Amino acid sequence: MNIKKIIEGKREWRAHVVRVKSLPKDYQIVYKEIQIYLFKVGPIELCEGNGLLSDILDFFEEGVLAGKDVLEITGTDVASFCDELLKDSKTYADLYQESMKKRHT
Amino acid sequence: MEHNTEMLKGVLEGCVLEIISRGKTYGYEITQQLRELGFTDVVEGTVYTITMRLEKKDLVNIEKKRSNVGPPRKFYTLNEAGQKQLDEFWVKWNFISSKMAELKSKDIKR
Amino acid sequence: MNFFEKITGSDMNKAIKEFETRVKALPPEYQSAWKEIINHLWIHSDFTGRNLMPIFENVLELLEVASADGQGVEDVLGDNLEGFSTAFVGDERAKTYRDQWREQLNKNVAKKVGGSK
Repeated sequence: MNIKKIIEGKREWRAHVVRVKSLPKDYQIVYKEIQIYLFKVGPIELCEGNGLLSDILDFFEEGVLAGKDVLEITGTDVASFCDELLKDSKTYADLYQESMKKRHT
Repeated sequence: MEHNTEMLKGVLEGCVLEIISRGKTYGYEITQQLRELGFTDVVEGTVYTITMRLEKKDLVNIEKKRSNVGPPRKFYTLNEAGQKQLDEFWVKWNFISSKMAELKSKDIKR
Repeated sequence: MNFFEKITGSDMNKAIKEFETRVKALPPEYQSAWKEIINHLWIHSDFTGRNLMPIFENVLELLEVASADGQGVEDVLGDNLEGFSTAFVGDERAKTYRDQWREQLNKNVAKKVGGSK
C-alpha cells in the first residue's frame, strides 16, 4: 500500500464516520453492530474502498428519509440480513485456507 | 401472508427480476410492490440483499442519481443476462408449479 | 523474539511498521488484545508470514473501528481470544464462532435498540 492510498483512504473513512454519526440513534446502533460483525467475518469486499459499508450506509440513509425505523428495514434478525449480504462473498479466512491447501499439494 | 420466509427465499430473486423487467425502479419501490402483492414479510433489507447480488452477478444496469435531500438512489434496469436469468426462472417456476398442481390432484398408486 | 521479527521480506517490514504505528494509537486494552491475537495467529503462518498479512490487516481494522466506537474489548471479541483468533483463519471451529457472533449481534441489537423510547 502506498502513502497516497493510505491518506485517501483515511479521508474517505473520516467522511464515512461523519455520515454514520448523523444517523438517528437506533440506526447508529444497528450500523455499528453490523460493522463489527462484518469485520469479524472478514469478507474481502470490506476493504476494497469502503464498498460494502458505504453501500449499507446509503441504504440506511434512504430508510431514515422514508421515515422508517431501522428494524423495519433490516428485519429483527439482523444477523440473517448480514449473512444474506455475505452470501457468495469470499472471506480472508477462505483465502488463507486456500493458500494452505496450495502449499500442501 | 406471513411466516413463509423460508419458502419464499428461493423465488424472491425471480420476483425482483420480474419487477425490474417492467421498467426502471429502485429498492424501496420494489419492496413496496412485493408488499402490496401480499408478501408482507418482505422488508427493505430483504430486497436490498437481492439487488446487491444481482449487481454482483452483473444481471442489472445501474443508474445512480444524486438527490438533494438524501443519499444517491440506485435505479435498476435489466440487462441481457438478467433477462435470460428471468426467462430461466419462469421455466423453472412453471415446472414446479405444474408438478405441484399435478401432485395435489393425482391419485397416488401404492 | 517476537512474531514480527520472524517475518522476513523488506516489503513486509514496511507494512509491519505501519501496523505498529496504528497499534500504538489503540487504547491499552485493545493493544494487549492485539498482541494476544497475533501470538495465537502466528502458529498458522507460513515461512515468511506473508499469508497472514491480509488477516492482520482485517483484525487491526476491527480493533480500530471497535475502539473508536468506545466498545469494551470483551464485548467485541468475547472472552476466548484463542478461539476467536483461530476463527479468523477459518479453521474447523470457525463455524461455531460465526454462530456465536451472529447471536451476539442479534442480542446486542435487541438490547440496545429502542432503549431511549
